[in-house]
Amino acid sequence: MSRNGPLVDGVQLCKHFGGIAANDGVDFAVADGDLIGLIGPNGSGKTTLINLLTGHLTPESGEVFLRGKRVTARPPHEFAALGVARTFQLTQLFGRMTVLENMLVPGLTRPRSTWAAVTARARTYLEFLNLAPVQHLDAKNLSGGQQKLLELGRALMLEPSVLFLDEPFAGVHPQLRGELITRIQELHHSGRTFVVVDHDMESILRVAQRLVVMARGQKIADGLPAAVRADQTVLAAYSGL
Amino acid sequence: MRGLHVYVLLAAAVVSLVYAHLLNSYWMHVAIIAMFYGILTASWSLLAGYGGLFSLGHMAFASVGGYTSALLVQWYGIPIPLGMAAGIALCCTLGGLIGWVCLRMSGPYLAIFTLAFSEIVRITFSTEDQVTAGMAGLHTAPLFQSASRLPYFYTAFGLLAGSLAIIGFIVHSRWGLFLRAIREDEQAAGASGVAVARFRILAFAVASGFAGLAGGFYAHYIGVMTPSVGSLDLMALVVVMTVIGGMERIPTAVGGAFGVELLQEFLRAYGQWRLVIFGLVLLLTMRFARNGLLTPLWLQFLRVSDSARIPRSPRPTREAGREGSGG
Repeated sequence: MSRNGPLVDGVQLCKHFGGIAANDGVDFAVADGDLIGLIGPNGSGKTTLINLLTGHLTPESGEVFLRGKRVTARPPHEFAALGVARTFQLTQLFGRMTVLENMLVPGLTRPRSTWAAVTARARTYLEFLNLAPVQHLDAKNLSGGQQKLLELGRALMLEPSVLFLDEPFAGVHPQLRGELITRIQELHHSGRTFVVVDHDMESILRVAQRLVVMARGQKIADGLPAAVRADQTVLAAYSGL
Repeated sequence: MRGLHVYVLLAAAVVSLVYAHLLNSYWMHVAIIAMFYGILTASWSLLAGYGGLFSLGHMAFASVGGYTSALLVQWYGIPIPLGMAAGIALCCTLGGLIGWVCLRMSGPYLAIFTLAFSEIVRITFSTEDQVTAGMAGLHTAPLFQSASRLPYFYTAFGLLAGSLAIIGFIVHSRWGLFLRAIREDEQAAGASGVAVARFRILAFAVASGFAGLAGGFYAHYIGVMTPSVGSLDLMALVVVMTVIGGMERIPTAVGGAFGVELLQEFLRAYGQWRLVIFGLVLLLTMRFARNGLLTPLWLQFLRVSDSARIPRSPRPTREAGREGSGG
């Protein structure tokens, strides 16, 4: 249920890199309970959009609102405190810290959190993600797929309102990919909101309830997956026409 | 309830305090200087080992602490502990400021920046000789009117123990966890809700404060302050001590200070060749034991002392997340 507008609202976001418009006036709104697939060819501006919506980049123009509150140009940790979690395109874990410690970091940043409560919660999520047996290993020693799962777990430790997952399926074994999709669906059913970026149309279409397509720094389609798939502009962008 | 290793260390501390008077004046001086370096390596380990902030300005802060205390005591006749406290406060402020200026810097950029800062401090103390007496050295009030070094030994011991207690508390608290997270991946730490800028500034301020404390004690122990306290030679020595011991754990960093200081004395006959030997040891450490020469020993010590206390069973909840941060 939205209070004071959408959960996340990016309005007319612009960001250039060396003269190239990575995001050129992008509007992007996320409502409570959404499970959005954000797709587009390489270099279409998907990751830049996520970076703008999570405080990792500051837009040159445009605004970001969280439940109607203006948060443009705030640092990433303030976004995290306001319930915005994310994962990264190339997995970014705390490599020389244990799996459990990776989970504790976000949990302990919350005010009035205690070690005992956060550790218990971390263990619950590690069970859920099948990572409990490796909790005392350094994160760098996990397999690629396990690292993706841990990154998801770390994001969950913020108990966020919305999770932005940047290419969660990239380089993940098909079996583990299926597991990841199941976990995302379970979390979505329990009330979490997701924005999932990926190239893998098949995986995205298995999870997404709404598809947003980007090309050349602009949003070219936004709607139900079936409608977006039939959109000629989208097909053209994907086939490079 | 902590592991048995804490009690073993406490027992060792009590024994060394009880039998300290048996040391002759020379070795007592060596022990005092080793403890002075112990404070510096522990605090540099907090900065570089835990926070990944490879600062080369640590000795500059020590000299700021030393000169501040010495000059305030000389000018205003304030009690020495108050002068040292003022030195610590100034170092904390200055350290926090440097941390703020260096917010976006890491690795070689931060090292070069702090190197330049360190040289500026040293040359300023050297040039402003009307105030600091320059290279001639500023005579400082002694902490104790005693012919024996024993009071200094106890003071150094107390300061080191206090510093280790505070730094140990920090690295075992959530602050230590956040610092390590920042070291591993600043961006991911931010995304996990860690206020990266605040903790980097805090690490600089706290570590610089301890450098100031060490400098203040040194000034009132040696009796003379020279700009060379902030020289790159001594900074290099602190780096060598910390890295050879093991920079990612406080006990190994302090062990490195004691080990290298002792070696310095044993190898005194070799003059400047000692430094070549330390250089070689450093090279070999970086190549073959990047976590430091003392880290495996320390981990073994922890294993042995803890297995003596409890059978190998699931760890207590509160300890579980803290392994890897060592002692």
